[in-house]
Amino acid sequence: MCGLCGFLGTEGDWSTSIGSTLPARQQRLMRIALANRILGFFRLRLDDFQGVSYVLTSPTGRREIVSDFGQLWRVAENLAGCPIDPLDPALLTWLSSIPK
Amino acid sequence: MTTVSFDLIALNVITGFLGSGKTTLLRNLLASDLGHETAVLINEFGEVGIDHLLVGEVAPDTVLLKSGCVCCSIRGELKDALVQLFSRRQKGEVPKFRRVILETTGLADPAPIFATILADPMLQHHFRLGVIVTVVDCFNAALHEQLHPEWTAQVTAADRLILTKRDLVAEQSFEALQKKLQAINPAAVILTGEDVKPQDPLLLTAGLHDAGPEREAERWIQNSRSRPWSKTNDVGVASEHEHSTHARIHSFCLVFDYQINWPAFGLWLSMLLNRHGRNILRVKGILNLSGAEYPVAIHGVQHLVHPPVHLREWPDHDRRSRIVFIVDGLEPETIEQSFKTFCEYLK
Repeated sequence: MCGLCGFLGTEGDWSTSIGSTLPARQQRLMRIALANRILGFFRLRLDDFQGVSYVLTSPTGRREIVSDFGQLWRVAENLAGCPIDPLDPALLTWLSSIPK
Repeated sequence: MTTVSFDLIALNVITGFLGSGKTTLLRNLLASDLGHETAVLINEFGEVGIDHLLVGEVAPDTVLLKSGCVCCSIRGELKDALVQLFSRRQKGEVPKFRRVILETTGLADPAPIFATILADPMLQHHFRLGVIVTVVDCFNAALHEQLHPEWTAQVTAADRLILTKRDLVAEQSFEALQKKLQAINPAAVILTGEDVKPQDPLLLTAGLHDAGPEREAERWIQNSRSRPWSKTNDVGVASEHEHSTHARIHSFCLVFDYQINWPAFGLWLSMLLNRHGRNILRVKGILNLSGAEYPVAIHGVQHLVHPPVHLREWPDHDRRSRIVFIVDGLEPETIEQSFKTFCEYLK
């Protein structure tokens, strides 16, 4: 646990990377990059925070700490003020239009 | 010197409606060879715990949860009971049981039980989910389905479905019920009450998180094989269920012949469950992941997903990823299209 900020351990979300040979830090940054492709549609941005949490930032500069990816979408919906739905055709079109 | 065991203790769940035969099954299980390694939690609705007294004869360490239905409101009590049992086990006050059976009240939705284990920082290190057995009363199944949404929750959450009171219904009705249950939960093993042997490992010790998860994944695949891949199995179209309140429930299986990127899959499924978890009653599957020789099994109930399990071999010769969904009102084509887009563009 970090003595200054009180964060406990590492995230235990089910979707944490499994079976990858990449270093944990690199996996983490890759997940953040992928999540940002989706979050860009809602003008949100996710950043790493000390390797144990994440910070989600809204276009107006509002920020929320996210402890793991299990919480990400709920917090993102609060910041975006709208549902974040992977079945939304507009979101799928947006994803299709991003250069790989 | 005190030794501390870090084995995860299986929490098996027996659920089903009032009078369906849960307690009879439990008594038979406890009387079998597996009984001496088993602790029991009984959750009853009402002031007098009848089931508690019945089972107490064969399992003196039975703990009664007094708050009635297992739901979000009593997660704390379930946690306390598990912690208490574990503490007594570690102190040697009760035998070193290897599993706990929780018999739920008839009106329980099993999903919050999983949440209790998965979300609690202490329990998740000492307990794991075992096998979920749902007892279905053949005689009253149609009535239970019509009147209680919990019936569907119990059926969809089941790893094993045990059909009781078969002798009280006509053969035709029994077969129709079997078909219906297969359509609702294609990955579950269906057993009839008279065929159940209390020592059958299928009932308590053959879940995905037990030794040999490959066999459980194989059962998913075999049981689901009768269902058309990538097509909806409408549950409510049979004439006797046309007016069912659960007619929107479908099961379907998505099949993908390319390797799946795990981070993209994780983002997609966590998004889907966050927004539609209430309507995704069950998801189960094996995934062929990029860079992995063997598959990973996933399973979840509503908003909850259990830790993925690495399999040490493929269940069959088929190397495609297969994901079974049981959904309420969602269209399989929409989910499939979304999944494909995420896999293709999030690499």
